[in-house]
Amino acid sequence: MKIVTRDYLFARGWKSAAPLLLLLPGFGLYLLIAVGPSLATAVYSFTDATGIRGIAINWLGFENYDEFLFRGNASRDNIAALQRTLIFCFFVTTIQFCLGLLLAVLLNNRLRGRTIFRTIFFMPVILGVAIQGLIWKLFLLPRGGPVAEVFSWIGWSSEFLGGQPRQAFAWVIVVQIWANVGITMVIFLAGMQTIPESLYEAARIDGASGWQLFRNVTWPLLTPAVNTNFLLNIVGSLQAWQLFLVLIGYRPGTQVLGYLVFAEGFGQTSGSVVSAFRQGYAAAASIALFMLVLIIALAANAFVSRREKKYLS
Amino acid sequence: MNKSMFWRLGAVLLVFGLLGAACGSDDGDSSATTAAPAPAATEAPADPEPEPETQEDVTLRVLVHQNPPMVEFMEAFNESFEASHPHITIDLSVVEAGDLSIATQTRLSAGDIDVVGIFGFSNAAQAYMSGAVPPNWQTLIEAGLLMDITGQPFVDNYDEATIADAGSFEGKVYSINLGRVSYSGMFVNKDLLAANGLDVPTTWGELVTACEVVKAAGNECMTVGGADGWPVFVGAYGLLGAMYPDQEALVEGLWTGDITWDNDQSVEMFRRMQIYTSDMLEAGVTGLSHDAGPPRYAAGDVAFMPTGVWQAPALESAEPDFDWTYVPFPGSDNAEDNQYLFGKYDQGWAIAADTPHPEAALAYLEAFSAPDNYQAFANAVGFIPTQPTAVLDTHLGREVAPFLANYRVGFEQYWVAPAGAGQWANGSHAAAWFDPFNEWTDHVALAAQAQADLQAGLDAN
Repeated sequence: MKIVTRDYLFARGWKSAAPLLLLLPGFGLYLLIAVGPSLATAVYSFTDATGIRGIAINWLGFENYDEFLFRGNASRDNIAALQRTLIFCFFVTTIQFCLGLLLAVLLNNRLRGRTIFRTIFFMPVILGVAIQGLIWKLFLLPRGGPVAEVFSWIGWSSEFLGGQPRQAFAWVIVVQIWANVGITMVIFLAGMQTIPESLYEAARIDGASGWQLFRNVTWPLLTPAVNTNFLLNIVGSLQAWQLFLVLIGYRPGTQVLGYLVFAEGFGQTSGSVVSAFRQGYAAAASIALFMLVLIIALAANAFVSRREKKYLS
Repeated sequence: MNKSMFWRLGAVLLVFGLLGAACGSDDGDSSATTAAPAPAATEAPADPEPEPETQEDVTLRVLVHQNPPMVEFMEAFNESFEASHPHITIDLSVVEAGDLSIATQTRLSAGDIDVVGIFGFSNAAQAYMSGAVPPNWQTLIEAGLLMDITGQPFVDNYDEATIADAGSFEGKVYSINLGRVSYSGMFVNKDLLAANGLDVPTTWGELVTACEVVKAAGNECMTVGGADGWPVFVGAYGLLGAMYPDQEALVEGLWTGDITWDNDQSVEMFRRMQIYTSDMLEAGVTGLSHDAGPPRYAAGDVAFMPTGVWQAPALESAEPDFDWTYVPFPGSDNAEDNQYLFGKYDQGWAIAADTPHPEAALAYLEAFSAPDNYQAFANAVGFIPTQPTAVLDTHLGREVAPFLANYRVGFEQYWVAPAGAGQWANGSHAAAWFDPFNEWTDHVALAAQAQADLQAGLDAN
């Protein structure tokens, strides 16, 4: 009997090009949707592009970058937005990672109704950002909202999203974590379910406690899931801005870099006043954000690669 | 087997190709947000002239911003227009006011719109504004995206000043503006004031006293839709106007250095803005949206609601028996300085230069501009009319009539920030930066910061 293997199928002559041809549509889409606009953004960052058809685009060299980083007090605000982006990333990544892991550990046990709990914790992930924002805007109404009501039971009061920038910023962190912790939990759960039960049984026979089981069996073997979540959380939180738009709007003291890009690119609005669309300048801000994401992601990747070698090699 | 696989591969590639072609096609009739079927408006618009039935069917894509009474009127008008122009179907898109500029730019650039709602032209870069970037409407005109409607008969229906100030650029007309609004006044709860033995305040001192009295009686002084941010500082535009009645000169003075945000007069203005924000506004307005403002105010236990006249229809709708008036915000100690209403040119119409249906678009604007229809529109929306034959024959119209002779275009329509200016440079927004809306608790420090941020921009150009 002749056995046809997958290698044989594409191995000889011109037929070996088949895998490449199969990849072609996907690669073409990737070029069209991801690489093309990214390269165009890099080029636009050196121009005064407005995004309006019919307006000439002039080459400005590094002027947009100079303005973004050094001109007047606007540069101070830009740097502050950059710092805020890092703070947002730190808190979201840390809390979402730990909370997601905790939920996964709890819901990996044979608890009664664990499927319902998994569904509840994952449900926010499937909602759009606008819906997530609107839900929390209602929750956080300072006058008669449910959270304000709960706060009043213990003598607290808050202006929530409309109040002090730091307070509003903290609430956006809460909502961002609520919206995304479900996916972190699911990735951890998937990782935990690949760990053979026999390893736990062996460890238990050796007298391992619950903490020792987690520390010496679960945690090392969860490395791929840990690394995936770590990188996803970092990159996702660095790029997040939509919740700021929905929950707070453009307010001094709350913008992150991603929102700054949007506001500059499409005109900051206050009532009916619309500033010019500075998409060249916004592209420069976008490249600054990209560099930030790239540096942090590379550092994080180096860290998780080392960790992977340590535990899995 | 292998040949079959390659045929399949070819078929897959063909499908992708067809999909790509399908995605690229555009019949020009698509719309992001289509309004619901038209309900009846408060007043029926006039029937425009019927047209011959032999014309080709067209779909006219129209974009407006969200303003409930206006959208309600537009839906009724569109129904009436479609009845009298059977070959034209109106595809109405409604977007939030803050998204209008983005939707306008993208849809004009994509050739995906025929008639656009556009705010009155303002914020033009002046000769003294070194390095200022032209406003968006100017860029749209320079890009050739708006149709030159100079000489169209319906343009003559509007007063010359409106066409010149709010719809023209370099001698050509690109927009007809449908109405002025005032944003510098405040609604006054007459019943509550009377119950507390108070008259309508005409000076800052009287306003402070009135607030103290109504609060002592267990009521609230002021409310405003604070959750949206901008209603807070718009509510204080009257205070700005009372302190600086010539707002065009104020902008020029700030640019040239003749006026500063930290001079004595400005510092006093910042002090009063802080009182307005921190003491006069009721607690919890940080969570009250702009649209929720009128129903809240109509509850009757709040004395004043500083906001634009555009909220009058919503207020009447929320509580028809509510007894109110609308007066300039008394920001000055001198009653004479508190006689001005400041505002802006609001909604207007423009036509996309490359519309495939120019005749239908012009017919639409002509029908809208018919005096009877325009009068119905002004009544429904509450705009101060820009057609000389129209009158604002509403409760609001009667209340603001004594002040219309003192109507002036406001600061917001003149202000352009210098590139490089910091985020606190526009001191007219200061009311929204005090506690509880933002971090500032010291008006002197904020005034100094506003001037420093402005100066940094001026020095950078």
